Amino acid sequence: MTYPEQLSELIEDFKSIDDRMERLEYVFDLASEVNELPTSEWNDSTRINGCQSEAHVRVDVEDSHVHIYSGADSKLVQGLMGILTIAIDKQPVDMAQSLTPDFAVEMGILNSLSPSRSNGFRNMFDKVMNDLSEAE
Amino acid sequence: MAIQDDFPILQRQVNGHRLIYLDNAATTQKPAVVIDAMNDYYTKHNANVHRAVHTLAGEATDGYEACRTSLKSWFSAERCILTSGTTEAINLAAHAWGHSQLKGKAIVLTEMEHHSDIVPWQMLAETFGNELRYVPVKEDFTLDMEAYEASIEGAGLVCVVHTSNVLGVRNPIEDIIRIAHENGARVLLDAAQGAPHCQINMSDLGADMMALSAHKMCGPTGIGCLLVNEETFQEMEPFMGGGDMIETVTLEGSTYQTNEHRFEAGTPRIAEAIGWNAALDYLAQLNLEDQHQRLLEIARSVAHELRSLGMTVYGRHDDKDSSVVSFLHPTLHSEDFAHLLDARGVAVRTGHHCAQPLLNRLGINGTVRASFYIYNTMTDAEEFIGHVQDIVERFA
Repeated sequence: MTYPEQLSELIEDFKSIDDRMERLEYVFDLASEVNELPTSEWNDSTRINGCQSEAHVRVDVEDSHVHIYSGADSKLVQGLMGILTIAIDKQPVDMAQSLTPDFAVEMGILNSLSPSRSNGFRNMFDKVMNDLSEAE
Repeated sequence: MAIQDDFPILQRQVNGHRLIYLDNAATTQKPAVVIDAMNDYYTKHNANVHRAVHTLAGEATDGYEACRTSLKSWFSAERCILTSGTTEAINLAAHAWGHSQLKGKAIVLTEMEHHSDIVPWQMLAETFGNELRYVPVKEDFTLDMEAYEASIEGAGLVCVVHTSNVLGVRNPIEDIIRIAHENGARVLLDAAQGAPHCQINMSDLGADMMALSAHKMCGPTGIGCLLVNEETFQEMEPFMGGGDMIETVTLEGSTYQTNEHRFEAGTPRIAEAIGWNAALDYLAQLNLEDQHQRLLEIARSVAHELRSLGMTVYGRHDDKDSSVVSFLHPTLHSEDFAHLLDARGVAVRTGHHCAQPLLNRLGINGTVRASFYIYNTMTDAEEFIGHVQDIVERFA
């Protein structure tokens, strides 16, 4: 699949990291990439179910482009949100909707995580895609 | 030879680092003698127990029953029913004894209990309408004994954890049993965490029932026991029906065994019993009291270092407490900690540790828990603290 340039670069970055610890720490660093959703706006409709930590996301569509706002009490989860932000924020809706969670497999991050975290990423991805469909 | 050399798994690398295994309150590692004993059983003696007259069946039966004999001796228990673990043992107590003996009576539990010592009693209460009374945990992580004394009247059973799997706090079991018996209540001890760390003498304590698991004391997973005194044993009624627990079966009805087999329907965990017996033999070579003191010193040192790094430590590490250190960083999520430690070869546990009522009482959702056992050393503790320090400096 052809990815947007910034996502392709991120996939290549992850592929170049052999060490599991470095890969995990890189995910942590990406926590700063999110457009912050203030905790005052966290509610049941923004909650990502199935995450072991408290994680929230809101998806807006403006001029057929995606805007994603998110936050989590876990830096690792927020780092995964940062990856999703790099992947789809400010991208055309149809491009975002063409993505599957496989890009995270290609990055090698899902096998660096526990099964619960890996499932958490898929839940996060599914919620974003559902919210995107509803926001259109 | 160092104790660590007896445990093959400790030789492996995890994520490119030496394994530092600090998840012992969840399960301990197994020494080669346990692995060898189970392998030897399947290689040379495998057969079903109790019925057949052939040689292998005799050897398998001897191996299985030897575990029961060892457990009775180790814990000074009158009866030993082998189960799949602590959880099944408590469920067995609830069904085989509780159903017939607790009608109309209250059950006293504590906020410190593992889910395994709460849910079976909630299920019993749903069926028979028993009142469940919970003894609160105080700010200093101990049970509120005044509240306990106030809750005992009209109770038929007190269920209490010997040593908390979250806090490491060893409860005042002697006082709890005395007060229960003075008020006509029986006592069930959840000794899953206590049994690996100290020699528990059930007869001296006067406990009526005691549940524990092999895998937390160097034995295999899938086996545990319910130890019972004779009076309580005689009041128990069969729970699961099937092979091995019967005396005779006709189309009109069945009669049941009168010994522990009465509660062990079906083919039991033979290899696991043999492995557990080997684990008991292994632990018998060590001085558990010396090990307890050594591990407690490690836990105290770790708790001190963690506090100096800004963590909140949940526990007190009193003389009889176990070497469990539960902690939280003010900003770094416990799950993040566990992932980052795992990437450095350190295995710890996070989450609610199957003790959600206790964590609710403490006002938290989960902790990071480092728990130490006989093969852990001060070097493990120092490397662990080094990794924690590194993580805090880099990510907090």
